[in-house]
Formats: sequence, C-alpha cells, structure tokens
Amino acid sequence: MIEELRELWRFRELLISMVQRELRIRYKNSALGFLWSFVNPLATTAVMTLVFNRLLQNGVENYSAYVLAAYLPFMFFQSSVLDSAQSILGSLPLVKKIYFPREILPLASVISNFIHLLLGFVVFFLLLLGVYILHPKVVPFQLTTIYLPFLMLISFILSVGLSLIVSALNTYYEDVKYMMSVAMYLLFFLCPVMYFEEGIANTNMNVHSHGLWFKLYNLNPVAVLSDAYRKILLAPQPIHTPNGLAQPLPIMWNYVGYAFVISTLIMIGGYRMFNRMKWGFVERP
Amino acid sequence: MTNTAIGSLKTLLLWWKRRSVMRLEVLKGITFEVGKGECVAVVGRNGAGKSTLLSLLARIYLPTSGCLEVRGRVAPLLELGAGFHPDLSGAENVFFNGVVLGLTRAEVKERLAAIAAFSELHDHIYAPVRTYSSGMIARLGFAIAVHADADILLVDEVLSVGDFEFEQKCRRKIEEFRENGGTILLVSHHHETIEEVADRCIWLQHGHIHMEGSPQEVLKAYRAKSEPDL
Repeated sequence: MIEELRELWRFRELLISMVQRELRIRYKNSALGFLWSFVNPLATTAVMTLVFNRLLQNGVENYSAYVLAAYLPFMFFQSSVLDSAQSILGSLPLVKKIYFPREILPLASVISNFIHLLLGFVVFFLLLLGVYILHPKVVPFQLTTIYLPFLMLISFILSVGLSLIVSALNTYYEDVKYMMSVAMYLLFFLCPVMYFEEGIANTNMNVHSHGLWFKLYNLNPVAVLSDAYRKILLAPQPIHTPNGLAQPLPIMWNYVGYAFVISTLIMIGGYRMFNRMKWGFVERP
Repeated sequence: MTNTAIGSLKTLLLWWKRRSVMRLEVLKGITFEVGKGECVAVVGRNGAGKSTLLSLLARIYLPTSGCLEVRGRVAPLLELGAGFHPDLSGAENVFFNGVVLGLTRAEVKERLAAIAAFSELHDHIYAPVRTYSSGMIARLGFAIAVHADADILLVDEVLSVGDFEFEQKCRRKIEEFRENGGTILLVSHHHETIEEVADRCIWLQHGHIHMEGSPQEVLKAYRAKSEPDL
C-alpha cells in the first residue's frame, strides 16, 4: 500500500488536472457557471427557512441554520459516493488507453465535491453574518467552529474510503450504484439532519432500553458527524420532545473519536480492496 | 489475457453455475527485446495479440505470468483522442491529456502553442472539441502525443491521420523523434509504412512469435502465408 501511495504522489499533477476538469465540465454549458455551486445551498436555505421557521414554527430559533449545518456535509458525503460510483466506468475509454493510478478517478470526484462543500460553508457563514446583522443582540458564531477542519477531515476520509469501495464494485456490478442511491436516501433519515439527536435520546424506546437505541443509532459515523457539525457551528438549543423540553447534549467527542477510527479503517480497507480489484477494470466485458 | 468479469449481479445470482467466464490466453510465452532508438513493427492477423502486446507495455494490463521491463516514459498513441471531453475546448483537453501522458501542467503550458501549430487547429483550439471534425481530433491527439517528451511511442494503426500533407508531417515528426533516440513500437497492417520506418519486424500468430527479422523478409513470408488464405 505504501508503494501505491508513492505512485499516487508521483501522479499528483494528474489528480489536480482531473479535479479541475471535473469542476469545469460540471457547469460548462450553463449561463451561471460556477455560481450554481452557491445556488444549491442558498435555495435549500430559502426553502428551509420558509418551511421550518415560518410555516411549522416548531419553537426552535433559526431552525434552518441547524438543518443546513448538517445538510451540507451530508450532501458532500452523498454526492461524492454517488459521483465516484460512476467515475471509473465514465472514464473507461481513457482507462483502456493509458496507465495512471486508477484511484485518481474516484479521488477526483471526492475532491471536487469537497470544494463544493467548502463553498457551501462559505454560504453558511455569510448567512450567519446576515442573521447577526439583522439581530445584533445574539452573536451566532461559536468558538468551537475551530474544530470544523477536523470534522471535515473525518468526512473526507470516510467519503474517500467508501468511494473507493463503491467505484471498484460498481465497475464490475453496475447494480451497486442503484443500491447506493437507495442506501443514501435511507441514510438521510437515519442521520440527524432534519431533526435533532436529542429527540432520539429522549424517546420512550431509548429511555426504556437504558440508552441502547441511542448507542445503536450512533454506530453510524455519518449520524455522529452530522450532529457534531451542528454542535460545533451553532449554539446549543433545548428541544421539544414528547417527554417535555430536552436539554441539549454536549458535543460527544467519544463518538466523534469512534467515527474517526471507523472512517480511517474504512479508508484503509477500501484502498486495499480497490488495489486488489483495479487491474481487472479493463478486462470487464 | 483473461476475461473474468461477470456482467451484473443478476448474472451472478441467476447463472452462478454457468456464468460466462472464459479465460483467453492471448499471448503465450513470447520473449523479445527492443533497444533504445529502435523501431520495431508488429504484424499479424486480427486477434493475434498485437494490441494486447501494446496494452501490456503501456501497463494497462498486468501480465498473468512472466515479466516485462520498460525503461523510460511510454506514450501510447492508441485510439487517438480517447481522453477528449466533447464539452471542453481543445486547449483544455490538451492540458488534461498532456498531464495524462506524464507532463506537468507547466510543461503543457509551454508546449500549447507548438501543439496548436502542429495540429493546424490555430484558433479552433479554443472551440469545444464537439465542434471538431474527426480529422481535427486525430490531428490534435497526434500532436499531444508527439509533444509529450516520451522515450517510447506505442503506435497502433494511427500513422495515417488527416490528409496527405499532415501524414507527411507526422512521418517527419516520427523521424525526428527517432533521431533524438526515441524508441517506437508499431502495430500496422500497412506494409509500406512498416518497410519505410521499421528496423525490425515481429510476426505474431496465435499469441506466439512466428517469425522475427528484417521487415523485408518477414513481410515477404507473411504475404506468402496470407495469400493462400484469401
């Protein structure tokens, strides 16, 4: 594996060019071009503000910001896995023509989506700034925002690991990409994006099982990360649950540590699996 | 080479007992050497393993057994323009393909003008590749490959790109490449081209080296063998 990483480093110029190319192709024939990268998070926030802050009035201040803080990293995870699933098949003519480390293809998909995540966070902080200008009494920015690069690193590692597995498998069995889009859709509901983790912690089912369900829920590293992003970026908020008002839980660093370990394992395992399968890509009928 | 993949999960699940896995041995124990600065042509009938041989040298396949040693940077000229994206401009594609062939982005930048001039695309280089004719694509692909500073060129039936003038220009470029010590491996059915440029000729048949020698004698024998089949 060290040998493969060294080879990958030798081809870093190609990786950069591949990312540039992917970003160029995405909005090549559109009038707004790169601005579309901002439109998606902006439109999402506009609809969320309308639905959650105005129509539902669920008592949470600035609910759309809480949704967006978890939604942006989730979208990054989803798009990088789904994009990379098709990355090798999409470049098969090139793969059949010339040698380069094959892992560059899924990696480029993940990195270009990571750049979109960065742009998304720029929009996010601009929105917080807007909230602050409108309501100067409360400062919405949190000191814990300094942990953001660390969380993004975990998200990146996890996305790379899963993308390597999914892209290698999808090259052999194209059913994998359909399975993944279903899995991603379901995963969205299993992550605290549209709701709060405190809600899960305070259900009767979880209380009666002495927290077992909550632990099971947090076995999913994407759920842990979604919650962690929200907690480092925004002020803690009490949540309404069927059992009354729940106090916000602190940032669960033990779960974040677990997510970091499991993501690293997935990446190492995924890379090994990819390296074992990559020579067969061109021989696919 | 082997042919191992399974079409889909459906095939895997439904036909797991008699799935269509077929191992094909394309090249069987061939040994040869090509020296620096040599130009070696490979001839043989369709399916003899010529393209597989070039793909092996380009490191697209791993040999199932045996080993191959390549010293220097290889630039394949297989299927020109395979890596072009239709929505990107010619120049953007030059950047990407140049880097694929092993140049750095800075090196491609230096060569962009030379590539545009050689391919005779001039200002069209900034137009999207989807607007190009097939001749323009082939010319651009050839121009990138010969400007990639490779030590070894792998040429698969592509010396006749574009019109007569451009073909002459390609020949001259290839000559120049050889004078600078470049090595060429050439697959072609075009016997005149082989007699003109190759120093040595290898005749592949059913994955074996049937004959090896000077282009004149190998091609003579090859023609003598082929004619009764016609």
